[in-house]
Amino acid sequence: MEPLLRELRFFWSVRSGPIMLAALMALSVLSVGWGLQNIARLEEEAAKVYTLQAVDDLAVARHASDPGDAAYYTSHVVHDAPGPMAFAALGQTDIAPSILRIRALALEGQIHENEASNPELSLPGRLDFAFVLVYIAPLILIALLHDTWSSEREAGRLTLLSSTPRSSARLWAPRVVVRSGLVLGALLAPLIIGSVLSGAAATDIAIASLLAAAMVAFWTLVSTIVAARGPSSTVNAATLAAIWFGITLVAPASANLAINALVPIPNGAAIARENREAVHDGWDLPKDGTMQRFFEHHPEWVDTPPVTTPFHWKWYYAFQHLGDVHVAETSAAYREGIAKREEVAGTLSLALPPIAIQRALHRIADTDVEAQLDFQDSIRRYHADLRRFYYPYIFEGRRFEPTDYALAPRFVSSESQ
Amino acid sequence: MRRALRIAGGELTLLVRSRLALVGIAALLLLSGIAAATSWTHMTHERLARAEGQAAADHDFDTQPDRHPHRMVHYGHYAHRPVNALAAFDPGVDPFTGTVIYLEGHRQNSAVFGAVRESSSLMRFGLLTPAFVLQTLAPLLLIFLGFATVSREKATRSLIQLRTHGASAADIVIGKALALALVAAAALAPALLALAAAALAQPAEAMAALVVGTGYAAYLLFWCCLIVAVSALAGASRTALMALVTVWTVTVVLAPRVGAELASRVDPLPLRAETDLLIQADLREMGDSHNPDDPFFNAFRERTLAQYGVSRVEDLPFNYRGAVSAEGEALTSSLFDRYASETADIQRRQFDVLQNFAWLSPAISVRRVSMAGAATDLDNHLRFLEQAERYRFDLVQRLNRLHADGLSFADDSARSRDLEAERRTRVSASNWRSAPDFKFEPASASARLTSSLLALGALGAWLAGSAGLVALAVLRTGRAD
Repeated sequence: MEPLLRELRFFWSVRSGPIMLAALMALSVLSVGWGLQNIARLEEEAAKVYTLQAVDDLAVARHASDPGDAAYYTSHVVHDAPGPMAFAALGQTDIAPSILRIRALALEGQIHENEASNPELSLPGRLDFAFVLVYIAPLILIALLHDTWSSEREAGRLTLLSSTPRSSARLWAPRVVVRSGLVLGALLAPLIIGSVLSGAAATDIAIASLLAAAMVAFWTLVSTIVAARGPSSTVNAATLAAIWFGITLVAPASANLAINALVPIPNGAAIARENREAVHDGWDLPKDGTMQRFFEHHPEWVDTPPVTTPFHWKWYYAFQHLGDVHVAETSAAYREGIAKREEVAGTLSLALPPIAIQRALHRIADTDVEAQLDFQDSIRRYHADLRRFYYPYIFEGRRFEPTDYALAPRFVSSESQ
Repeated sequence: MRRALRIAGGELTLLVRSRLALVGIAALLLLSGIAAATSWTHMTHERLARAEGQAAADHDFDTQPDRHPHRMVHYGHYAHRPVNALAAFDPGVDPFTGTVIYLEGHRQNSAVFGAVRESSSLMRFGLLTPAFVLQTLAPLLLIFLGFATVSREKATRSLIQLRTHGASAADIVIGKALALALVAAAALAPALLALAAAALAQPAEAMAALVVGTGYAAYLLFWCCLIVAVSALAGASRTALMALVTVWTVTVVLAPRVGAELASRVDPLPLRAETDLLIQADLREMGDSHNPDDPFFNAFRERTLAQYGVSRVEDLPFNYRGAVSAEGEALTSSLFDRYASETADIQRRQFDVLQNFAWLSPAISVRRVSMAGAATDLDNHLRFLEQAERYRFDLVQRLNRLHADGLSFADDSARSRDLEAERRTRVSASNWRSAPDFKFEPASASARLTSSLLALGALGAWLAGSAGLVALAVLRTGRAD
């Protein structure tokens, strides 16, 4: 205990150390506080959407007794409620919508809708805990650890200290432990308080804390190795900053470039156009053929009487669905392309521990690209349920009573299933 | 001055001889070169893809068969945001926004399909573009190369030696800054080449390219001055390094994020779903064309009947249903415009908050100059949204006029029951071909330059400040011996 206390006193005696620690502490408190507020605001906004949607539903119910109208005019809220750890790593929450309104029409034109975000604010990146962990904390660690040996040498004390009959590890380990420990403390205290406030599960808090600890351990290790071998404080500091620069700035940007070049994805706009063509062609194609093709996917309605009028809702919803079926393959390839890019990014980041840790934190937070794709998958499942809910009314010609609106399935996100 | 040049030459020789520094210079040039080349390739591909997408959408629209005009209202159209000539240099917000909007009647869709939702999460670490290299990476590499330029001489007492050989403090400090500026110029070269190529391809953008290039030159010169001045003022090389890395972290990494975060909370944006529902709610208040007893549309009918002196809509000289569609579209569009301009105003106010941080961070200033020059800023995106909406409205109203004038009310009313009447409600396909195509008009180069004047001013102030610091360093170094 004594050596640790000695190092602690030593740390406080040099002015720059406490200042850096205070700056880190301030940033991590700020990032956690703002993260919590951002998520809370997102949830408040979502609550407003639900309230407004309920009013909208009532207004639709007042006019529509025809099931075709009901399905056409009713929007259904799909909501990817942010998880309790989202505040720590905001990820894609600024640009990918967490709430959409879906109708039982062709889905392809609805599922890619964007949030009304300000791109100028997304461009610099978010100031969240993950940012402090991957960008700021390493720089502070480097500043505190790069001269562990060289400062003593440069002060002319190294030979003196090394000549004392104790193993060198016992001499220097306390200094490294105290400094890294203080950095970890400045990160963990706000993180844990924030997680508890946001109602995170103990395992999530534990994993997030371990990830923060792993980040601190990685940079402590790198700093110690460089500090032990480097010729001078100056060269050590420059070397470490250069390593940080390579891992945190250059490598991810280069990797992103390489991944996007190596893993092509189908053109999204072309898929949307093709979907529209398929849907609108439905108006002009022979109705029998359309219905037959629809029955291949929904054989349960094969006995429905043929459509003889120029317009019938069951025919309308049949070709809406066929429009989605038409592009199902390319649309899946589009999704798989993005998933593949994310997967390759995961593999590449194994070579860059800080990036891997940052990604793992976003996984826990459920705010990464995978979360965005999961949400879209659950929207697709929900949309299928929605269609199946309306079909019996439409195909059997049943009246859609005002009370039937409440019977529509409600969206449940993938995590809660 | 000759002595300053000699000192600059000596410093460069030293940089090239030191393996570490050489690696730094090579890395900087390599990054700058790779960024210029790949960004050029990528944005050229993107430009072609969007142009092809627009051409395909125009072709699809023009080649639709004879049909009921309201079918075309629902068939809709697409507007793609084209890629500006300088976008390869600085894609700006382009990858963070949707690039194409589906335009249809009664609805206002969002711009969809942008790089940020099609890439891995690594994209949020930054895009390797010339702009990113120059704004973010180059200053830090210059710091690595330059933090010890003067402090090293002080530590080894060679400063005194240089002075005894007749070099003044000004020669030494300015010579070192010059050497660093030459390295910066080399890093700037591939980017400037890319800018020049873009300006040649589109001469109208030459002025913008020149201003952007000047902005980056000023920005990098600011860093060179700052680095050498701090190196001269600091007691030791390590102090200089720590101070410079701190300045870099605060101004390049931290300030833009703090600015963006503050901007988003000073003036929060409502969710899109909420805005859509508010529009629906307002619409129900004002007029609901699906409600047969709606007062707004009843009043419209009475007004129209009175205007033409008839008592039944069947007797009107045009198809009343088309007129109702046009009236309904005008109503919904007025709401779309109101809410869209509210959203755009919030975004512009957020942008202004962020811009105030230009006085705290030269990186924000140069980013502003760069994105305005390249026409890849928020303003360009908002212009796209506004022009797409204008085009949507004009197209839909053109179709609604056809609906009112091109077919009879009796046929239109009977068309979902009577196949013959349905056939008569189809209007000629030539009408689709004669509709104008969507053409995006970016802000003129001079308007864009005007909008970045403040940021240019801030950049000038930063440069002047760093020059002042150099002067201070010269004075201090001169007094030191």
